[in-house]
Amino acid sequence: MRLSRKVRLLCAALVPMFGLAACSGGANGGGDAGGGDEQVKITVWSWDGTVEKAVPGFQAANPNIKVEVVNAGSSQDEYKALDNAIQAGSGVPDLVMFEYFAVPYFAIPGKLADLGEFGADKLKDDYVPAAWGDVTVNGKVYALPSDYGPSAMFYNAATLKKAGVDKPPATWDEYYEAAKKVHALGGDHYIAQDTGDIFFLLSLIWQAGGRPFKVDGNKVHIDFTDEGTTKAVAFWQKMLDEGLVNTKVTGWSDDWNRTLNDGSLATQTMGGWLTSTLPERAPKAAGDFRVALMPQWEQGDKVGAENGGSSFGIPAAAPHKEAAFKFLEYFTHGAGLQTRVDAGAFVPNKSVLDSEAFRNKAVDYFGGQKVGAVLAEASEIVGSGWQYPPFFEWARSIYGDIASPYYTSGKVSLAQILEQWKQRCIQYGNEQGFQVD
Amino acid sequence: MDLARRSDVTPPATSSPDAARDPAPARKRRRSRAGLAFIAPFGALFALVFIVPILYAAFLSLFQERLLGGTTFVGFANYGKLFRDPQFWDGVGRVFRFTLVQVPIMLLFAMALALALDSRRVHGIRFFRATIFLPYAVPAIVSTLMWGFLLGVKYGLFGSLNHALGTDLDPFAPGNTLISIGLMVTWAFTGFNMLIFYSALKAVPRELYEAAAIDGANEFQIIRAIKLPALRGSLVVTIIFSIIGTFQMFNEPQILPTMVANSGVTTYYTPNLYAYNLAFTGSQQGYAAALALVMAAITIAVAYAVQIRGLRNASDQ
Repeated sequence: MRLSRKVRLLCAALVPMFGLAACSGGANGGGDAGGGDEQVKITVWSWDGTVEKAVPGFQAANPNIKVEVVNAGSSQDEYKALDNAIQAGSGVPDLVMFEYFAVPYFAIPGKLADLGEFGADKLKDDYVPAAWGDVTVNGKVYALPSDYGPSAMFYNAATLKKAGVDKPPATWDEYYEAAKKVHALGGDHYIAQDTGDIFFLLSLIWQAGGRPFKVDGNKVHIDFTDEGTTKAVAFWQKMLDEGLVNTKVTGWSDDWNRTLNDGSLATQTMGGWLTSTLPERAPKAAGDFRVALMPQWEQGDKVGAENGGSSFGIPAAAPHKEAAFKFLEYFTHGAGLQTRVDAGAFVPNKSVLDSEAFRNKAVDYFGGQKVGAVLAEASEIVGSGWQYPPFFEWARSIYGDIASPYYTSGKVSLAQILEQWKQRCIQYGNEQGFQVD
Repeated sequence: MDLARRSDVTPPATSSPDAARDPAPARKRRRSRAGLAFIAPFGALFALVFIVPILYAAFLSLFQERLLGGTTFVGFANYGKLFRDPQFWDGVGRVFRFTLVQVPIMLLFAMALALALDSRRVHGIRFFRATIFLPYAVPAIVSTLMWGFLLGVKYGLFGSLNHALGTDLDPFAPGNTLISIGLMVTWAFTGFNMLIFYSALKAVPRELYEAAAIDGANEFQIIRAIKLPALRGSLVVTIIFSIIGTFQMFNEPQILPTMVANSGVTTYYTPNLYAYNLAFTGSQQGYAAALALVMAAITIAVAYAVQIRGLRNASDQ
């Protein structure tokens, strides 16, 4: 009796080991270099669920290429896994998902293949200009945009109405007035939350015309004192100083979900991709939310910004680059694109954004609003010329270290935080071999 | 303990200067070679999983990786930089302070529980033993999430408590976060340490208690004269385990920031977390390797000091 239990335990312990071995063997399988008539298997790392939906159609059209889509974690987790795989020299995937700001991080040290070799340059005209700029580093294309985050304002119309705000704020001045009215509803009601969200702050700066990062080859110039940056930072400082922003609830946390559900957060100025997660996170607020363009700095302006968005690139060490590019083109530009759009992807392709089907689709969750038309417009007005430094992945990870004391104690100011952040970036960037000032 | 000491002082036979003139040197050499064959599997595995990774880390620590320019040999520059790095020492200071406060509290707790279970006056010993041990089996990730919800002030249990009492306490305010983490760690590891103490108490011969009873000793005298001395050896072990454990603190500060805003957890909150972020976000594997080795050396030094002190006290008896 006792023995048999031990044996069973042993089996239970061993089975996962063999299972894992089998899996990893499978992922590395199909050893031949891509192309030709031979059967090729490519591995795709993606946390975008819509990519998988494009696989059956692609495999039907390309019977000699087998696609395996793996979720190797989101964002930072995936980049770490990719860095590990590249360093280990094995298990490198053929196609990898990157947020836009991470493209230079991998492209500059030569970890990504130049997609120009496969003819990616010819696809340029299908993308909104800012998205194409995001995947171009020093004049070369290293990834193809797969989803887009034009900044837009998601607002809870019911909460705003309760507060006496009948139409969504069109300028930041109106936004400020609305914030006071919303907060007057009660202590827990705020127009927005911020616990040190660098992407939000940068999108404000972006829209205001600030361009704090200037990248030219290996030279990076950082300046948080240009006119646009100063204007945006001063505005948000005023919002924080007057207690109009919830600084207790952090984005993507459980608390955040709850405040979105109960309507105590009136707006979210975020990337257009929020359309796909908001219904999951705030099911109880169904019908209350609407989408509008970002409030403008001047009445009558139409300028937007980006907040997030991703692309796919091919690691330089990938075993099947050609097959990988075939699939990449298929789901970001070719026949697979529509499949992904139907599954909820928000893409920066003009062919999609300009189509009637996309612009005229009423979305129930947003009270039947034609969300596509708003987001298409938001995509087209994104201010151009924004650059991220190649070490932004690291920079954003330490931003919280610097900003966090401010959000809890209220000492110093956003401008001082940005200045400290800049100093850390300069130090790190120079250590990393760039010329940063 | 006696046994160990005796084997320590036995001089190794082969080191005798007379070894060459030994009447049966050939046989002895053959025997030692046979011995080598027996320890070879152990030796190979030991080298593979302990020696090689440490040497590799030491090797890595001599290089600097850069996004531009690749990897260059920098000698001991990483170590020099580390000793001047305030963020590293901030983390080291934090785990030291944490250890000084949390470990004694946890071990006192564990000891009290073990003594209570061993007093034979508690019903349902098996049940309590299992229940108190249970948190140890809960993965740290899960327990951190759980405590994050319990202590959260917005919608958590603590929030309701604040609401009911009209207080404004926040367990995850930057100054309180370390205390909250201490609570999580204590909750998780008290049962484990209790079990070590309890098994040490179980090993005490029952005749001693009978003798004490005949002498008219009460329960507290028994604890002082018999049980506490019996716990000394295991106390050293638990202290060492706990020091190593807290010096390697990682899961809690890694997960908390995703749950709670601005809890004061930085990317260099503990040395382990700092090493992780350096290696994987900052692409500074060499620097991270240097940090890991220095931290290992500090941990070993502290644990060794505790062991020497603990054993000297034990042998004073």
